Amino acid sequence: MWRFLSHRLAATLPVLFGVSVVIFVLIHLAPGDVTTVMLGPQASETAKQELRHTLGLDAGLPVQYGLWLARTATGDFGVSLATQRRVADLVLPRMVNTLILTAASLLLAVLIGYSAGLVAALYARSGFDRGAMLATLVLGSTPPFWLGLMLVLLFAIRFRLLPVSGMRDFAVDGGVADLLRHLVLPAVTTALGPAAIITRLVRSSLLEAMARPHVTVARAKGLPPIRLFRRHVALNALPPILTITGLQLGYLLGGVLLTEVVFAWPGLGSLLYDSITARDLPVVQATALVTALAFVLVNLAVDFVNAALDPRMVED
Amino acid sequence: MIRPLLAGALAIACAVATPPAAHAAGTLIWGMPTETDILDPHATGGWTTYQVTYQIFEGLVKEDLTRADVPSPPLVPGLATSWDVSPDGLAYTFKLRPGVTFHDGTPFDAAAVKFNFERFWDEGSPNFYKKSKAFVIAYTKWIKAVDVVDPMTVRVTLTAPNYQWLRQGLQSYGQPLMISPASVKKYGNDGVALHPVGTGPFRFVEREQGVKTVLERNPDYWGNKAKLDRVIFRPLQDPATRINALENDEIQMMTTPPWDDIDRLKGEGFVLTTNPAVPYINFLHLNFKFKPMQDVRVRQAINMAIDREGIATQIYKGTGRSEHGMLSPGTNAYDPKFTSYKYDPEGAKKLLADAGYPNGFKMVFELAQSGTGELVETWIQRDLKKVGIDVELRKFEWITYMGKWAGGMPDDIGMNEIGWGMSTPAWVGIVSRCDSAPPGGINSGWFCDKAVDAALDGALLARDDVAAAALYQKANRAIMDDAGFVPTIDDLQPIMLSSKVHGFVNPPEDWYDLSIVSVD
Repeated sequence: MWRFLSHRLAATLPVLFGVSVVIFVLIHLAPGDVTTVMLGPQASETAKQELRHTLGLDAGLPVQYGLWLARTATGDFGVSLATQRRVADLVLPRMVNTLILTAASLLLAVLIGYSAGLVAALYARSGFDRGAMLATLVLGSTPPFWLGLMLVLLFAIRFRLLPVSGMRDFAVDGGVADLLRHLVLPAVTTALGPAAIITRLVRSSLLEAMARPHVTVARAKGLPPIRLFRRHVALNALPPILTITGLQLGYLLGGVLLTEVVFAWPGLGSLLYDSITARDLPVVQATALVTALAFVLVNLAVDFVNAALDPRMVED
Repeated sequence: MIRPLLAGALAIACAVATPPAAHAAGTLIWGMPTETDILDPHATGGWTTYQVTYQIFEGLVKEDLTRADVPSPPLVPGLATSWDVSPDGLAYTFKLRPGVTFHDGTPFDAAAVKFNFERFWDEGSPNFYKKSKAFVIAYTKWIKAVDVVDPMTVRVTLTAPNYQWLRQGLQSYGQPLMISPASVKKYGNDGVALHPVGTGPFRFVEREQGVKTVLERNPDYWGNKAKLDRVIFRPLQDPATRINALENDEIQMMTTPPWDDIDRLKGEGFVLTTNPAVPYINFLHLNFKFKPMQDVRVRQAINMAIDREGIATQIYKGTGRSEHGMLSPGTNAYDPKFTSYKYDPEGAKKLLADAGYPNGFKMVFELAQSGTGELVETWIQRDLKKVGIDVELRKFEWITYMGKWAGGMPDDIGMNEIGWGMSTPAWVGIVSRCDSAPPGGINSGWFCDKAVDAALDGALLARDDVAAAALYQKANRAIMDDAGFVPTIDDLQPIMLSSKVHGFVNPPEDWYDLSIVSVD
């Protein structure tokens, strides 16, 4: 088990390194110059050249990358070119905001997906099952930004129940209740798609597990239904369910970036957008890196849980 | 037992579902289409940023933005109570306003003024901030010396007379506004951007990058104190989000509302304000390095082929007006009756045939990727197609585009576009003078006409506004006779307000005086 874990952990480093190189190269390939942004269109070429030199942008790409890597390795993300703030001060609060939205969405998706999937499997081909399958088909194929706008129109504009933008009321500080109110629409918007996919998968995994011969045998031997379900059905159905939940978490991390735009949720998505449009390289690098890190950690966590549930995985 | 439970559930439901509580007295939340730049007026440019810094900082001379019914904002005393210009037009002597302190308590005096000029102008001074140079340059390039005459008097000497100089200092590239010298010493040249300390009617409270910038009333302001307790600037990039937030009372003011939503919002009780004399125009730079464009008949044909009225009425829905000249409306030199080329596709075809292009030609139109501009660009593409000119729209993301535009067009590009202008008519020189060609200048299409330059030179030397206006109009006529550009549309600066907002004035300027505004 420990060998498996350390192996997986070591494998994440090349992934992070690759991401940072790709982002670094891409942003340098993009046309447009940060010095034009910083000095304005009327700046002379001499002034721009001087600024490039001050910022170290006139060094070769490998040198610039090496310097960045050395700094980042010590936990120093540098200073944002566009805002003159420490990059860590910009990225970390945004990351927390993104994680709040992601966690809320995941919780919703799991609650909806697991319970609806379970009921649909237990009462397969019932009215509920058919209705759930139709609803998940529709929701799973709906683009989240459209869904978000529709929810806003209904619950915020029409019924005036919920706020539509930001994380809290700007005029009065409403504490946690206010945060929760702001969280409802973006979390539901992001969660419904993954919830639909999880529902379908939970249902099919359970049905498959229930149809296995050993379950039929156990039932014939008179095992109590609850014990039968817990020991012989649920445990066997869990690995694919967990894997797809982990995958959905990855999807959520990407999906919330879009939702953040629609709801002006101050997360990594809008920070990434702002910093790319300003060619603010240190911020782009840091944002991409923490996003990649989150992705990798989620996958790692899923691997660990699966390994704990199913020892066969470790043997490979 | 059931009852208390039910009551509890109801209470929770209400707590979660009640609409936001009434806003604290006098807070205005402004939904902006973009995040502002750093809040250091010497080292940044752009309207959006100036809309914030204008509330915090002041210059020696100010624009009076409390009136909408003037052709351009009158210049009024700011941190100087009066100023004299020497007979030769070279020396400006400013009498400073007594009893003014910066928000951090630092007294405002001649030493503070001198410090600020050293920061944005005097390259030999240890206080000089390199980054500000390229921003405040339109103002500082005229300065020869800055002297403290006495503790409350400062004299600025120019290298040559320029009677537009004061107004040139009030434009939205770096502004010569007064920053607290103590704050620069405390936070450093880079650090003041995060700790802006001025003398204005509002003082800085906090900024959460990408989320909000908060200002509060300066209770010690020397002039009329602000009515609002607070102003909160919120960047909301997505237009739909901006509209939803306005409808849900999460913002009370919204700039650049999408054209298609204006009528609906008005119907819901929101208030639309516009101004017919905003100091910027939308126009196309025609590229004089592109072969067909070197024939004046081709340039005239393009001017005649575009149906500007159609754009104003059908796309701008009444919040735009067709424009035929290159002077910005919000200047004292603007003549609303000026005409150049009427919409005449048949005439355009004839001119193209005369110029040797009976079947038209192909050209590239470079432009910035922006949401609302697309309708206008495709409209222009369609109109030019009707006279035989096959236009390829080549779009770039804004920063990329800005580099291309400021760098000047290479000879395989036909034209590009921009919306720009200033409240000084001298602006037209920035995009049209021979010596304003890139790099360093922004005459993106390489237009050059010595007669235009001569008229513009003369206008700077005209002490009398009327005489100056006549010279700017002469330059404008010469530019349009030569069809050097294609002016298209004046944006009438639509701003959508909640009915709770009172006293807002939409002035002939791109930034507003929020000290006169109140919110229920």
